[in-house]
Amino acid sequence: MIWAERLRLEKLCNLTDKNEYQIVDHLFRHQYGKMVAILSKIFGLSNLELIEDAVQDTFLRAALKWRNELPENPEAWLTQAAKNRAVDLLRQINAEKGRREKVFHGAITLQINEYFLDHEVADSQLRMIFVACHPSFTNEEQIAFALKAISGFSMKEIAAALLQKEETIKKRLVRARKKIQDLNIALTYPAPNEIQERMSGVLQIIYLIFNEGFHSTKPGALISKDLCGEAIRLCKLLLIKENFRSGSLYALFALQCFHASRLESKLGSDGIIDLKQQDRSQWYIPLIILGNDALNKSMEYNDRSIYHIEAAIASEHVKAAKFDQTDWAQILKLYEEMYLLMPSDHILLSMASIYLQTNAFAEAKLALDRIDSDSMNQRRYLFHGCRAEYYEKTGDAINALQEIDLAIELCSNKHEQQYLRTKRKKIAGKDISNK
Amino acid sequence: MKEFMMIFIGANYEELGLSPEQLQERMGKWFKWGDKMQEQGVLRGGAALHSSGKRITGADRVVSDGTFVESKELVGGYYTVAANSYEEVAVIAEDYPDYDLGGTVEIREIMQFDR
Repeated sequence: MIWAERLRLEKLCNLTDKNEYQIVDHLFRHQYGKMVAILSKIFGLSNLELIEDAVQDTFLRAALKWRNELPENPEAWLTQAAKNRAVDLLRQINAEKGRREKVFHGAITLQINEYFLDHEVADSQLRMIFVACHPSFTNEEQIAFALKAISGFSMKEIAAALLQKEETIKKRLVRARKKIQDLNIALTYPAPNEIQERMSGVLQIIYLIFNEGFHSTKPGALISKDLCGEAIRLCKLLLIKENFRSGSLYALFALQCFHASRLESKLGSDGIIDLKQQDRSQWYIPLIILGNDALNKSMEYNDRSIYHIEAAIASEHVKAAKFDQTDWAQILKLYEEMYLLMPSDHILLSMASIYLQTNAFAEAKLALDRIDSDSMNQRRYLFHGCRAEYYEKTGDAINALQEIDLAIELCSNKHEQQYLRTKRKKIAGKDISNK
Repeated sequence: MKEFMMIFIGANYEELGLSPEQLQERMGKWFKWGDKMQEQGVLRGGAALHSSGKRITGADRVVSDGTFVESKELVGGYYTVAANSYEEVAVIAEDYPDYDLGGTVEIREIMQFDR
């Protein structure tokens, strides 16, 4: 089982591999995270800024050098470059420290090779994940730090992905780095008794990164696939290590697999395609299978989490061969369970839209009336979209139009806006034909 | 056949703070372009240049270190290609990857000297 699982995980890695120009997709990005982690282990997190600059420079040089001719093995080239960088950094750091604290040069250059062994690399990256989720960071700092130090996003990319100003992201990163210095945070695992507690923070960050990608509010791009890919990669990194495995981690991984299997079919040539209209034959079956395995695995552990329920819901959706065959009763039950565990207006909204699917209009209205639209923040347009659907289905075109106009106004995503406009036309058409 | 030099000005990756991912993407485009020119048999040579350097000026041979011009005027590299006319080179230069970063391609004919 373990081997089969590992094999599938490997395959997942190459999911979107086009191998254009013989370079693995995201090679630079992933190597960046690896190098930063390794060098941080060698030289300590207090040198993080220096390290990040050095690694960035390595890629800059590679990009220029490789313009005309690729090395035979780009990955090996980068690894060697990183080793050379480590030696440079050693000199640089020693020079700054002055003579007394000098790290013994000979011993370290020998050790450097050890740090680049595969299991050491994975270990460094795992430690980095825990640093990113350090309780002294705010949630926002955690995400920014993780995307920068582990996933090699530039400030501009993070800003775009999180819909923030570059300046804001820069500040968050500076604050996080300062906390590392002030609190002397080291690249270590939390104490064994703290691991479970810290793990919940780790899962939350991965969950947030994935959602940010899957429900991207970035204008123009519905899905920031890269964010989803990174979240899945981080999950996989954690799953490799036995003592980090838990029901929640497997459930989170399952949830991401189910969602990711629909990524390709979610975005059509001219906008978003809703669950009902998606071409289900395009869903990526291997990911669904992987998700099923992970969901089964998640039940073998004692812990239960919100991720279990969310994964179960996602699994119900991908289980249905056709939209009409969706087991709404089962999904509704799962949402109710979720609401008991963690009441929120978002869950109520989901329940309302399921009631609408099953033509349970009175229940739908009841759920909608319980929602405080202000609590929906950026997703307020979904609330109004759902109300529009309620009015449309109950034959109240005037209110339906009013609601859908509100939804269009509040929606910042170009594709979703387009979707809402199409819907508006449909309602408006009915309105005319009724008169 | 004549030879021309395409000189790449501006679009300094260092200054633009491109991420590893973006660098890889850029590199892929350069590589594809280089490949295309190879296939067409027009590529003669080329190089990328560091942004910093030295200058030796005048009778006193004053040596100065540095980057000498603003980023947008900085020569980042060149290709030499064989072609019949400026127009032909302009077509080749269509594929220069960094226009979107504000980059410029300057095309100059290389002088041929009789022996």
